[in-house]
Amino acid sequence: MDPDPIDQAAIDHLLEITGGDLEFLDELVDTYLSDAVVQLDGMRRAAADGDAAAMVRPAHSLKSSSENVGATALADGCRTLEADAKAGAVPDAVARVAGCDDAFTAASSALLAQRIGR
Amino acid sequence: MTGGRVLVVDDTAFNRRLLVRLLASIGHEAIEAEHGRAALELLRDPGVPPVDVVLLDIVMPEMDGYETLEILKADGALSDLPVIVISGVDELDSVVRCIRMGAADYLPKTVDPEILRARIEASMAGKRLHDLERETLEQQTRMLATIDRQRSELSRFLSPQVAALVSSEDGEAMLAGHRREITAMFCDLRNFTSFSEVAEPEEVLGFLRAYHGVMGPLIVEYEGTLEHFAGDGFMTFFNDPILQPDHAERAVRLGVAMREHFRELSADWRQRGYVLEIGIGIATGYATLGRIGFEGRYDYGAVGHGIILAARLSGEAKAGEILIDARTHLAAGSAIDDASAGDRQLKGFSRPVPVHAVAGVRSTEVV
Repeated sequence: MDPDPIDQAAIDHLLEITGGDLEFLDELVDTYLSDAVVQLDGMRRAAADGDAAAMVRPAHSLKSSSENVGATALADGCRTLEADAKAGAVPDAVARVAGCDDAFTAASSALLAQRIGR
Repeated sequence: MTGGRVLVVDDTAFNRRLLVRLLASIGHEAIEAEHGRAALELLRDPGVPPVDVVLLDIVMPEMDGYETLEILKADGALSDLPVIVISGVDELDSVVRCIRMGAADYLPKTVDPEILRARIEASMAGKRLHDLERETLEQQTRMLATIDRQRSELSRFLSPQVAALVSSEDGEAMLAGHRREITAMFCDLRNFTSFSEVAEPEEVLGFLRAYHGVMGPLIVEYEGTLEHFAGDGFMTFFNDPILQPDHAERAVRLGVAMREHFRELSADWRQRGYVLEIGIGIATGYATLGRIGFEGRYDYGAVGHGIILAARLSGEAKAGEILIDARTHLAAGSAIDDASAGDRQLKGFSRPVPVHAVAGVRSTEVV
């Protein structure tokens, strides 16, 4: 696992384009976290059902928002899941989604730690 | 550029929130929809103010970007609305597909406010131009319809040729006045004054209605320009405003047709005890044509030597006679049967004028 689950450059970029508004950044991160929970849930269900088609959308969404907040490892995990799901078969789906879960836990802790650290 | 209204369609709250914030920071108002179906509902809701641009995500539940785009482009009321597709950098095939389907542009998912600003403004400018074009076209269509209506209304009051002239491109110049060779024809009735004294007014009006009903269509058929009619008299000319190379012959043919039709009409009235006869004068010459009259009442009229001559010849004609001048005789040539009717001393003309009387035309077809 990546020792630094959040790419600080992405957070800096978000802050820059929103005019350094930390409050808005916190809102955005909260939105990301609650979206991600829903998407991970969908991915977990798709993996359990062996339903590749149902994997595409949540993996796709989580990939792009994770990129935006700098959760690089999670974004990478979602990207390969999405690509396989689009191709029609996701090998080791359950284990890979569990890996995404872990990556998310690490990313969310790091994001929240940043907030506490300010 | 002033701010526009943007509809952000994305299933991810994170993306919507970020885009709305960025749009607000560059002066655009945004509304949100979480999938295509919700977006279409907003766009079609008459209670929601119209938007200028749609930012559309591709992968969404309920209705994805492709389907939304397809429906938008097929909807006449929404097909002009610019759609900017939001896409990840690794999804360029999707972008190509969307642009082929009619998307105006695309925006990467990792949003840069400057790119967002540039793309939104380009799309809005395109839409404004398009709206302006459409507005101009609608205005033109309305204007043309008005002109058409005016023309058809005018043609009920004026000669059809003059009505067409008024709304034609060179109409203003033609109305301002021009010189042209024309053939003028005057016709009026012998004994009409005594008829109108003896007959009941209702009979006079009934006769005039029948007479106009017969002569009017003939003038239209031979494409004469009716300058005026008053009571029993008509003044018609040829070769203006529409050019008619055979204007002299046309005038004579119209005169002969009028005489023939009048014969049937007068036979009917003769049985009622009224003897009415037609006299026709035709002359060819240069005239000044255009708007004649005064503010509030203008006519399209002709002024010239030939017109006075035609009026005099009509006065000179005996019952059923068609008198023509030498120029008409020469111009109409072999198409007509005529014979010299001597030189006449006419009022206003210092020397005797050679006159021909028309017996008939060689063929009664309209050329």
